[in-house]
Amino acid sequence: MRGQALRYRSIHTQLMEMVLTLRQTVEDHITRLTTRPQRQDLALEEQWHGQAIREQEALLGRLLFQIVSFLPAGAPGDQSAQLPRTSTDSRGDVGGGQPVQANRHTGQMLYQESGFENTVISYDLSNRGIDISALYRLRFRDYDTYQGNKYHKDKNTLGYINLGTSENKLCTDLLAERLSQSDMTYIDEDLLQYADWRGQPFLRKEVARFLTFYCKTPEPLDPENVVILNGCSAVCSALAMVLCDPGEAFLVPTPSHGGFAFSTHLYAKVKLVPVHLESQVTEANDYPFQLTVDKLEQALLRARIEGKKVRGLVLINPQNPLGDVYSQDSMMEYLEFAKKYNLHVIVDEMYMLSVFDEAITFRSVLSMKSLPDPNKTHVIWGVSKDFCISGFRFGALYTHNREVASAMSCFGYLHSISGITQYKLRQLLQDREWIDNIYLPSYHFRLQEAHKYVTHKLKALKVPFLNRGSGLYVWINLKQYLDPCTFDKELLLHRRFLDHRLILSPGKTFMCKEPGWFRLVFAARPHLLRSAMRRFQQVLAEQAQECRVKQLEDAIKEEVSASQPEAPASPALRKS
Amino acid sequence: MFTLPQKESRMTTACPDSDSIQGLASNKGDGLERECSRKPDQKPLKFYGVGDPAAVLPSSSPYLSSRGSVIKWFWDSAEEGYRTYHMDEYDEDKNPSVILLSPLCPQLSQSDMLHVEPALLQYPDWRGHLFLREEVARFLSFYCRSPAPLKPENVVVLNGCASLFSALAMVLCEAGEAFLIPAPYYGAITQHVYLYGNVRLVCVYLDSEVTGLETRPFQLTVEKLEMALQGANSEGVKVKGLILINPQNPLGDVYSPGELQEYLEFAKRHELHVMVDEVYMLSVFEESSGYRSVLSLERLPDPQRTHVMWATSKDFGMSGLRFGTLYTENRAVATAVASLCRYHGLSGLVQYQMAQLLRDHDWINQVYLPENHARLKAAHTYVSEDLRALGIPFVSHGAGFFIWVDLRKYLPEATFEEEELLWRRFLENKVLLSFGKAFECKEPGWFRLVFSDKTHRLRLGMQRVRQVLQGQPQLADGAPPRQIQEPRGPHR
Repeated sequence: MRGQALRYRSIHTQLMEMVLTLRQTVEDHITRLTTRPQRQDLALEEQWHGQAIREQEALLGRLLFQIVSFLPAGAPGDQSAQLPRTSTDSRGDVGGGQPVQANRHTGQMLYQESGFENTVISYDLSNRGIDISALYRLRFRDYDTYQGNKYHKDKNTLGYINLGTSENKLCTDLLAERLSQSDMTYIDEDLLQYADWRGQPFLRKEVARFLTFYCKTPEPLDPENVVILNGCSAVCSALAMVLCDPGEAFLVPTPSHGGFAFSTHLYAKVKLVPVHLESQVTEANDYPFQLTVDKLEQALLRARIEGKKVRGLVLINPQNPLGDVYSQDSMMEYLEFAKKYNLHVIVDEMYMLSVFDEAITFRSVLSMKSLPDPNKTHVIWGVSKDFCISGFRFGALYTHNREVASAMSCFGYLHSISGITQYKLRQLLQDREWIDNIYLPSYHFRLQEAHKYVTHKLKALKVPFLNRGSGLYVWINLKQYLDPCTFDKELLLHRRFLDHRLILSPGKTFMCKEPGWFRLVFAARPHLLRSAMRRFQQVLAEQAQECRVKQLEDAIKEEVSASQPEAPASPALRKS
Repeated sequence: MFTLPQKESRMTTACPDSDSIQGLASNKGDGLERECSRKPDQKPLKFYGVGDPAAVLPSSSPYLSSRGSVIKWFWDSAEEGYRTYHMDEYDEDKNPSVILLSPLCPQLSQSDMLHVEPALLQYPDWRGHLFLREEVARFLSFYCRSPAPLKPENVVVLNGCASLFSALAMVLCEAGEAFLIPAPYYGAITQHVYLYGNVRLVCVYLDSEVTGLETRPFQLTVEKLEMALQGANSEGVKVKGLILINPQNPLGDVYSPGELQEYLEFAKRHELHVMVDEVYMLSVFEESSGYRSVLSLERLPDPQRTHVMWATSKDFGMSGLRFGTLYTENRAVATAVASLCRYHGLSGLVQYQMAQLLRDHDWINQVYLPENHARLKAAHTYVSEDLRALGIPFVSHGAGFFIWVDLRKYLPEATFEEEELLWRRFLENKVLLSFGKAFECKEPGWFRLVFSDKTHRLRLGMQRVRQVLQGQPQLADGAPPRQIQEPRGPHR
């Protein structure tokens, strides 16, 4: 079988073959474009011709995509003669596109194949279907690897530790206990029937009440302004659909968590215009990565000059990955800016209850006395982060704009939540006593402890980081371990973490402009965190060692090349 | 007649005995005969229609994108009947398929169902927890009678078939491309494939009249499929797949294995994907209807392009539970759909409950299904007898929760406006039926009547139907009542 045979050749050969096929296809394409078949009906011919062109173009797109999918995301270095892991699928699957890299020290596979096989390439999928598979794989490759081989303190000590995904594992015990109580188990016929697609009225009411209380709103929130879908990703995706047409854009201060970019692109094909923030403290920056209206304005105007249609601004507060909290004044400035330019503002407050430093006051946008443009201000909240139940799939939108709410409600068909789950959520959210007296104190205490442990370690390792008091993560700076400081090297360091079965998120996935930043999620139980930090330390030691060797080699090379100027310099990678 | 593979020939008995065909034809009266004979000289009727949801041109909003405005229009228009229905304070008038539920609630509240563990509260494998996919594979192997055990890796679990249609539209079609679907069909699919996917449906219009080699009203034939496909192609619409709902909604029809094979062969010839929606597969209450799941076929013509859908919303009456599943041997399709499951996931706790429910074959076989079928049959009998007494023709084949009712004679004019007026009159009398236009039926005057309800409510509902119809002037008063019901003769 063609696919099977291909798999056993080197990637190099496969690529060559694809390029040849591509050339052949291009030639065919040109032939088709220039020759016309003998047909009597002109209209029919036109149509046939149009279709042929479309088909050829689709084929071209796919071939190009196949080639691209062989190139590991921006990674330099040698990949020769590594076999992709076989996939069980055979049809139209040309060898699979999983980037595979040799571990230079052990010769083992870097990536364990996960359940998602190398089946991106298929003639059965539409181009956007291929695109979706590929995007997913690129973004969640590490996550899937982790899913297939999780660390367990007794059963699988060699498994992956995931400090990359912002998932809250600190209080699952408390939640499991609360969710096992008898008030949670109720089921009646109504819960099993089609309900209001915007979310069951009882849950929307409870969410409004909950947000009124915890966001300290001046007026009680209206349940009619609440739309409930199965997760905040779904809310982002649907919002992108109803606020933007394909190709239009949102303004996003970066670094910003990649989930939003992913969710607005996958279905809705909405683009993001980054507002790049800088780590340097300068006249324009009172603190690292400060967001100012100037920067927003510049980014917006530049995007407009480039012909991009910007429809909105996305603010994450508390910020992810920075752990920043916007002051009420700053927030007001951003909102005024948006109003001035007629932009929607999406305020993602996913981490609003995850502010663990008591010295910090988080103010929800809903707490403002008057919003500059209430009809264009849309707030997102969910339970995945604040309540450790990412597996529940619940996300809520609060908007004064009834048109937006109606259009969003339509997506309830596709992003619905089980009635049973909605009931449990209601029970959970209405139990203020448990939340205030048991859950939040424990949760914040555990966050503080974990944060203290991790930052202590980081300080000992002399790793700079942003010390903010909210969120489940610290934003750390590993520039000193990159030589040169490039995104390629950042990716290599990320891979080295993976070699040691530790997952962190590299800055590039947050659209950070400066290479060398990583997000480290600390919302994990102590034993896990200890193992993770051990691995972390080991990787940094290795990396430092390699940097030193490289510096020495460079010095030697310089001497040699000074005596033999025409000797070709080999890539740094090949040598170590 | 069908040409069938030899081994399945006994299934040809799915066609009615000749007596009832005669009866059917003569019962139809002159009007219909005339219409048939008139056909050849007429401009050919439209056999297909290409849907274009964006053509509604809703007023644009300063807040929404243009697609957002179309989407909002969907919401506003679809909600009318539903809201009227929900605002109705008559509490007893609430649930359309409540008949099935009473045994389920205690089952779902049993202690083995209520397991909570941290892993269930965290991000899952987006295709669905492995324990559930294994259970689904086992369940479908058993109830679909698949020749070989089905594989968990071919299963993708998500929150309902609506999401599944949406995801499939996304990964199989480019924007603007289309699926073929025999009409009348469950109209919500239009929206499911359009919302995100911007995929259109090309209707393969079926007739109530039985002509040529057809054996029953609204029969789907390969010829009709071919014509619709050609028609769409001639309009420059690229068709990527065919949607088959089996048992059919709203007809309650069941495709015989022979027919199914023909449709699949047709799809293979044209390299079309086939999505077989078997969401009513366990709601076949007449055993004689000879229902067979597509997964039971010995050999699928094009297994890589055959994708099967099932959910618990109908067969287990749990539309609010949001559980749907895809079975496909095509890994690329499964992977692509799974890549979207982040947006269509269901809670880990519910996944656990589902696995427990589906595992319990004893309870399903001995308690649930017999009870479910008995109740469906009783309700069906009640409603169909009532309809017969009223002299109202209907189509029903012993599957599903509904009867497809012919109220054409109650329309002063055969228009969809009149159909809607009649529907409003039902609504005013607090009985919610669905009108044919919602199913893209091309003949005005057909209504879907859901009978899966408790007896006293059914009685009340039928009373209201009668009241409305009695106040309605009748067309062709003297004509004998037309009986288009599929005869229920022995099939073996």
